[in-house]
Amino acid sequence: MLEVRDLRVGYGAAPALWDVNINVAGGELVCVVGPNGAGKTTLINALAGLNRATSGSIRLGGQDITRLASHLFCQAGIAIVPESRRLFTSMTVMENLELGSFLPGPRSHRARTLEQVCTLFPPVREKLNMPAGSLSGGQQQMVAIGRALMAQPKLLLLDEPSLGLAPSIVMDMFDAIRRINADGLSVLLVEQNVSMAMNLASRAYVLEEGRIVMEGDAKDLLQSPEVQKAYLGLD
Amino acid sequence: MTLPSLNLLAQSILSGIFLGGMYGLIGLGLGLSWGLLRQINLAHFGYVFLSGYLCYQMTQYWGMDPLLALLILPPIFFGIGVVQQWALARFRITPFNSLLVTFGLTVMIESLIQWIWTADFRKMQTHYNELKFSVGGIFVPIPELFTLLLAVGLAFAIWAAMRFTDLGKAMRAMAEDAPIAAAFGINERGLSLLLSGLCVALAAVAGICFAVIFTLTPTQIFSWVGVVFAAVMLGGLGSALGPLVAGIIIGVSEAIAMVLFAPSWAPIVSFSLLIMMLLFRPGRA
Repeated sequence: MLEVRDLRVGYGAAPALWDVNINVAGGELVCVVGPNGAGKTTLINALAGLNRATSGSIRLGGQDITRLASHLFCQAGIAIVPESRRLFTSMTVMENLELGSFLPGPRSHRARTLEQVCTLFPPVREKLNMPAGSLSGGQQQMVAIGRALMAQPKLLLLDEPSLGLAPSIVMDMFDAIRRINADGLSVLLVEQNVSMAMNLASRAYVLEEGRIVMEGDAKDLLQSPEVQKAYLGLD
Repeated sequence: MTLPSLNLLAQSILSGIFLGGMYGLIGLGLGLSWGLLRQINLAHFGYVFLSGYLCYQMTQYWGMDPLLALLILPPIFFGIGVVQQWALARFRITPFNSLLVTFGLTVMIESLIQWIWTADFRKMQTHYNELKFSVGGIFVPIPELFTLLLAVGLAFAIWAAMRFTDLGKAMRAMAEDAPIAAAFGINERGLSLLLSGLCVALAAVAGICFAVIFTLTPTQIFSWVGVVFAAVMLGGLGSALGPLVAGIIIGVSEAIAMVLFAPSWAPIVSFSLLIMMLLFRPGRA
């Protein structure tokens, strides 16, 4: 599904990402974890066309999308739930969801996808005509995920969906991500919440200072001494 | 201060509404470009006058009807708007710099007009000039009424398009967060060209109405900047209906001030309104 080869973002002596290699197979849920400033958001934004790759390649379902214009990544099959959500706050929830399905393909299935989003996130149905900016953080996160689902992507990118949310809402959010993936959608999740992300994902990558330093089965990585020590504070 | 007759007051208020419609029509494209493209397009005023002079040329020398000009000029000016946006985007002009660049462009348009049509006053003579009817002793000139109805119609059409069509929603989304809009397939460059073309086409429409109603002279270009800016800022940047509503409020306030005090008081009114709004509702513009 997604093949990232030797991806480098940024210039000069200290690029934000150094020759990153990542794979996501069809239907897989993969997470990238790492500390603040490791380059997680840079990575996910590059995959969504928000940042440009300096070198390397991004292939999605066999198509090389590295040099596509920003607005063509969505058409290629990528949808992003960006860091801190970035909803169109002055517009209604409904308008946000409609904009997710702006392209002709998803637009023709708009009613059906909207129904799926409302089934997945019942609170969203109640708020369709409210300005998106008036919603609580958790509800806004639901709308942000809903907006991405409205694009009917092949690969869903999630950037820190737990950021700034109460623990109980984080559990709901991860449960929703699990169900989205169970329906067959490939998911790449970037998270600081290492144990939750690794419990959810089948495979995981650890990103530090712009490089992938560990990768493998998520459950195995979670048990490894390095991860236990560096990220979970256990000896 | 002497109290004017009721009839005079009503006639003045009506003129104020018509003048406000003109402010709103000129402000419509200016405010859309300001709010949605983040460009303060001073050249908008130049385009209004250029369109007015072209309409003058077409009617006085080529024997065309102003309504025909209304069909011909806006598409041409749409093209000018597309080219201008392409150039501004090509050279990555920031919003503040767009003010300077388009100021220069306006000066160039003014010179061009002066070169072709000289600095003389030009008044279009058409059979529309004399068309008017009277209701209860109040005269209603047809060209002014037509301009007002056109302004209302266009403002409502654009408001509805912004609110109810996917393209309009995409433009609002682009204005709020262009990179995220692009991530959902919205082509920022294409939409910006379209929007800029639309705004300049609206300037052309305003210019034709202007030429029918007012006397043209190139130095007048800058005298409209202040009051139309006030209407746009009062009405809200990027709003389709706001500038028209604010324009009519300003026009009527000016008319009342002229009748009650003196004509020289009129310009003070619009800016007093603007300053009051900025004081009491800051952050709205």
